[in-house]
Amino acid sequence: MATFVDRYPEEASVVKATLVVSFLSLGIGALFGLVQALHRTGYLRFLDSVDYYTILTGHGVLLALVFTIFFLMGLFTWAVVQSLERPLPDIRLSWAWVGLTTTGATFAAVAILAGLIPSIDMSADVLYTFYAPLMAHPLFYVGLAMFIVGTWLAGADWFLAYREWRAENPDERIPLQTFMVLTTMLMWYLATLGVAVSTVFFLIPWSFGWVETVNPLLTRTLFWFFGHPVVYFWLMPAYLMWYTVLPKLAGGRLFSDPLARVVFVLFLLLSTPVGIHHQYLDPGIAEGFKFIAMTNTMFLLLPSLLTAFTVVASMEHGARQRGGEGYVSWLGSLPWRDPAFTGMALAGVMFAAGGFSGMINAGMNINYLIHNTLWVPGHFHLTVGTAVALTMMAGSYWLVPQLTGKRLYSRPIGLLQVVVWFVGMVLMSNAMHRGGLAGIPRRTAEPQYQNFDFSMALGTVGEIRAGIAIGGTLLFVSVVLFLVNILLSAFEEPIENPVDDSLPEPLSGASGSPVVLDNLRLWTAIAVVLVILAYTLPLAGIVGDAGLLGDVPGVPVWVSANAEATLDLLTEVIA
Amino acid sequence: MKMSRAGLLVAVAFGIPVAIELRVLFSFFGVELPLVSVVVFEALFLLLVAVLYSLNAEPKSASKH
Repeated sequence: MATFVDRYPEEASVVKATLVVSFLSLGIGALFGLVQALHRTGYLRFLDSVDYYTILTGHGVLLALVFTIFFLMGLFTWAVVQSLERPLPDIRLSWAWVGLTTTGATFAAVAILAGLIPSIDMSADVLYTFYAPLMAHPLFYVGLAMFIVGTWLAGADWFLAYREWRAENPDERIPLQTFMVLTTMLMWYLATLGVAVSTVFFLIPWSFGWVETVNPLLTRTLFWFFGHPVVYFWLMPAYLMWYTVLPKLAGGRLFSDPLARVVFVLFLLLSTPVGIHHQYLDPGIAEGFKFIAMTNTMFLLLPSLLTAFTVVASMEHGARQRGGEGYVSWLGSLPWRDPAFTGMALAGVMFAAGGFSGMINAGMNINYLIHNTLWVPGHFHLTVGTAVALTMMAGSYWLVPQLTGKRLYSRPIGLLQVVVWFVGMVLMSNAMHRGGLAGIPRRTAEPQYQNFDFSMALGTVGEIRAGIAIGGTLLFVSVVLFLVNILLSAFEEPIENPVDDSLPEPLSGASGSPVVLDNLRLWTAIAVVLVILAYTLPLAGIVGDAGLLGDVPGVPVWVSANAEATLDLLTEVIA
Repeated sequence: MKMSRAGLLVAVAFGIPVAIELRVLFSFFGVELPLVSVVVFEALFLLLVAVLYSLNAEPKSASKH
């Protein structure tokens, strides 16, 4: 039986192209992560502290936006093609979005990395959140805009494939993987409206000097309009693999197709009207709107808890098919030798911990305790940094052989890699959470402060630093192992069946789920209404207070070249 | 139940967060364990896992892949 590359060679090339960009970004971003971990903790400092922010921005953009979203685009292409059992409608469109997103990501990366070279008058040290008043070089924003439009085209490609399939299968339920892709993309179209408006109408004209001022709170709010649902945009590929691939790897079948559909519908409905929970400490937004955002956020726990139940039930089913028995000892019957399974399972465990720390972030009152501290990166290194990243790496061990027709170079190295990631992240994220509780700030190259000691509830700041440095080093080693394993796999000889790529039917199939779940128009309409309810009044208040373009001139981050001008501007902004 | 080398590796990995959080758990009850207690706990845990593995090890798999 032929694998994916034999059945759909052109689509396999598209997926491989996205994965190459994704993995390249992973390598560079991981190196930047190591540099940061060693710099912040004081173990190895070879950077000027100003350049720390260039590295920090590169780390965030390359990993949180480029690595994840390029992997998503490859995975979703694979998922749509193989679940609809048909090629994409026009491969030229597919290459067009690959080209546009790659060019956009390259522009943004060039603008960031140029900050390391003083002779180039270009910088984008605005961190991955890139809202005003920090101003990047225009190339950064233009690249981001191209990248976002490219993702829209990718979504159009998948919707066109679905439309062709629907014309030939008018009465069929949407195949589960395609359903997941379509609901995720609908959420993405809605969510990216905020960042598109912010980038195209405010940040690009402002960075080119076409308009002189900006309203920072408006760009912040529009960023977080997109900035929280982007978390689910990263997470949904991981969910797609947990729901449809992990049960098979465990030796069983998905427990419930209807529950999976409900979860994805809930994410479509609830992901966007929650972004203000990132702005609990922003003045200019009434407390009531923040409270509503918190309430919506708590509802978002439901689909994650449903996922925990469904995925664990599916794994238990797999274990019992493999002879597992007892209340707990069935865990020993799971295929721990398989790096794809083990990586995804460990990612799921870490995600549970990240979910709990996320509840602290989401709670309006206790958020004040950890706001802008190391707790926050501790949290998202468990979610995007492990639930997403580790699942993507582990899933690659199963996916890449289907795209190349070649088996994985080494499963033991793959297993070691995912376990090293788990251990490294335990050390680093644990230290970050504990440091955050002590008030150690995030996003600073110089967290030590003179004549000041952080009051630790337990242990010492030295332990925290050691945990971050050792954990960060292990994570970098893990990425190197992953990339070497994937690279060496390219030199293997092609074989007929490099991996068992069949996906079994769920225990409870689509026929048992309400037809209304497939009504994408209905869910999209409700999602739009919820966003209007959540955002209309806050945005009207922000624009009413300071106007669309505000009165803040902006702070270019060409820090090395324009230090004096920047200081003047900062003084003006503060005044 | 037989234990594979992969199962051994995962069990060892799981011991690390348990050892780290042991201090946090004790601190809830006002007992501040020194850092060395983590090392001792982890060493004892590894010894226990090694003993269990030696008693329940699966035959080695010769395949590279």
